[in-house]
Amino acid sequence: MFRTQEMEINMGPQHPSTHGVLRLKLRLDGERVVDSWPVIGYLHRGIEKLSESKEFIKITPFTDRMDYVCAMSGNLAYLGAVEKLCGIKVPEKAAYIRVIMVELNRIASHLLWLGTHALDIGAMSIFLYGFREREMILDLFEAYCGARLTYNAFRISGVPADLPPGWKEECTGFLKLFRQRHREYEQILTANRIWLKRTKDVGYMDAEHCLALSVTGPVLRAAGVARDLRKDEPYAIYDQLDFDIPVDDGCDTYARYIVRMAEMLQSVHMVEQCLEKMPSEGPLMGMKGRRMKPRKDEEIYFAIEGPRGEQGVYLISDGTDRPYRCKFRNSSFANLQALAPMVQGGLVADVVAIIGTLDIVLGDSDR
Amino acid sequence: MKLTRFIQKLILWELLVGMMVVIRNQFRPKVTVQYPKERIPLRPRFRGVPRLRYDPKTMEELCISCLLCEQICPDDCIAIKWEKAPSGKGRVLKDFIIDYQRCCLCGLCVDPCPTKPLTAIYMSHDYELAGSDRLDLVAGRTDLHEGRTVTIYDK
Ligand code: SF4
Ligand code: SF4
Repeated sequence: MFRTQEMEINMGPQHPSTHGVLRLKLRLDGERVVDSWPVIGYLHRGIEKLSESKEFIKITPFTDRMDYVCAMSGNLAYLGAVEKLCGIKVPEKAAYIRVIMVELNRIASHLLWLGTHALDIGAMSIFLYGFREREMILDLFEAYCGARLTYNAFRISGVPADLPPGWKEECTGFLKLFRQRHREYEQILTANRIWLKRTKDVGYMDAEHCLALSVTGPVLRAAGVARDLRKDEPYAIYDQLDFDIPVDDGCDTYARYIVRMAEMLQSVHMVEQCLEKMPSEGPLMGMKGRRMKPRKDEEIYFAIEGPRGEQGVYLISDGTDRPYRCKFRNSSFANLQALAPMVQGGLVADVVAIIGTLDIVLGDSDR
Repeated sequence: MKLTRFIQKLILWELLVGMMVVIRNQFRPKVTVQYPKERIPLRPRFRGVPRLRYDPKTMEELCISCLLCEQICPDDCIAIKWEKAPSGKGRVLKDFIIDYQRCCLCGLCVDPCPTKPLTAIYMSHDYELAGSDRLDLVAGRTDLHEGRTVTIYDK
């Protein structure tokens, strides 16, 4: 008489909790998810193909538009690759400025993750607080490079400008304030029983599966693997800084929350050190002129630790000033592969929490 | 220890602590800006749409039509028309067009501009770019010097 049947529904691409234009096909058995297929590509702009027809310097603005939540990391990864390809040395002061910007951007990115992730789960006020502090970081970026989202703040072989007067003091003030505010976020969420119920044991994925799917970043570190390119393969000036890598072995959404919260404090610590150690004088650009002469048939891969994981750039040169091939290894795309195994067997409401915990940016995964 | 934890759990301690944070934040100054009525002050380095400027002393055209900005623009949105100067040396700018629809505000065009001490092209502080027509957003030489006219919504 009565008959149950599995149902296939679409979630997204306009769903507000899919953080952009992710479309998820879900097969549901009542409230349980039986199967899921992420459908991506709604934000595809062909940046890799486009890059083949542009000079190296012109590609930097495109890297802003891939991971627009952390554009500084995109810039750094790409420019690092070009510098490695052409064998250019970056002056020390420029390297310090770059690291300051990238670490501040990591805090901003994690704040955006915290706000939207908590909002999806149902905590409204933390969203407003997180964005309030993120706004201050964006003000700092605006004062430094003039843009608030798509910075294009670095150039090949260095940075275009020194820190403006008063910037250091403003930044130190912000970092001090941020430590206080960070304590407040922890007070709201860390022990909150609703938050614990919604995040503990949700989206479980252990280290073995993470590695099999080449998931990187906080998701991997929350599974107990202390893999961080800033420590393992230091680039820029990270080998001169003193910092820890937060690791947790909970493997679930709550563990990822703990790891990311701790990472924010580590970034604050790093920026403080950089501001202190940064040489006050020195060149900002390592080369004069803008003609690039990479060797013929050279292939390089350069990766940095972005806020979402390994952000790599693979370049092949054919001896001209344009790349023959430019491939971006973006962490959102790799991390998205973990979505289907994580949501399987869980509730529909947890799908939202899992999308949040993976912290994907669709501009990054679609390119 | 166990008892305190039990009591804390019973009186919803961690929710009260969280609530205290929310209440404390009620008394902090407001940060919301009512946009069309109020505006955030811009930082000196803010990058709005690129514009051209005259030499502030002589009020003559600074641009020497070297075409470097046209070459470096990643979106190909600059078009420059020039002629040989009558004296035979240098160039005279005829027209300068920037297509604001395509401009990504990257600021790369300012870097190579050779005029000293001020660059002929600069990133202005204009950021309101709405138009009702595609051609509204194609800025010619007058627009680049004087700024686009925008209708301010003040109802
Ligand atoms: S800001 Fe960038 S996109 Fe716009 S005109 Fe200048 S170089 Fe071109
Ligand atoms: S780079 Fe400067 S001087 Fe050269 S064409 Fe552009 S605006 Fe004119």
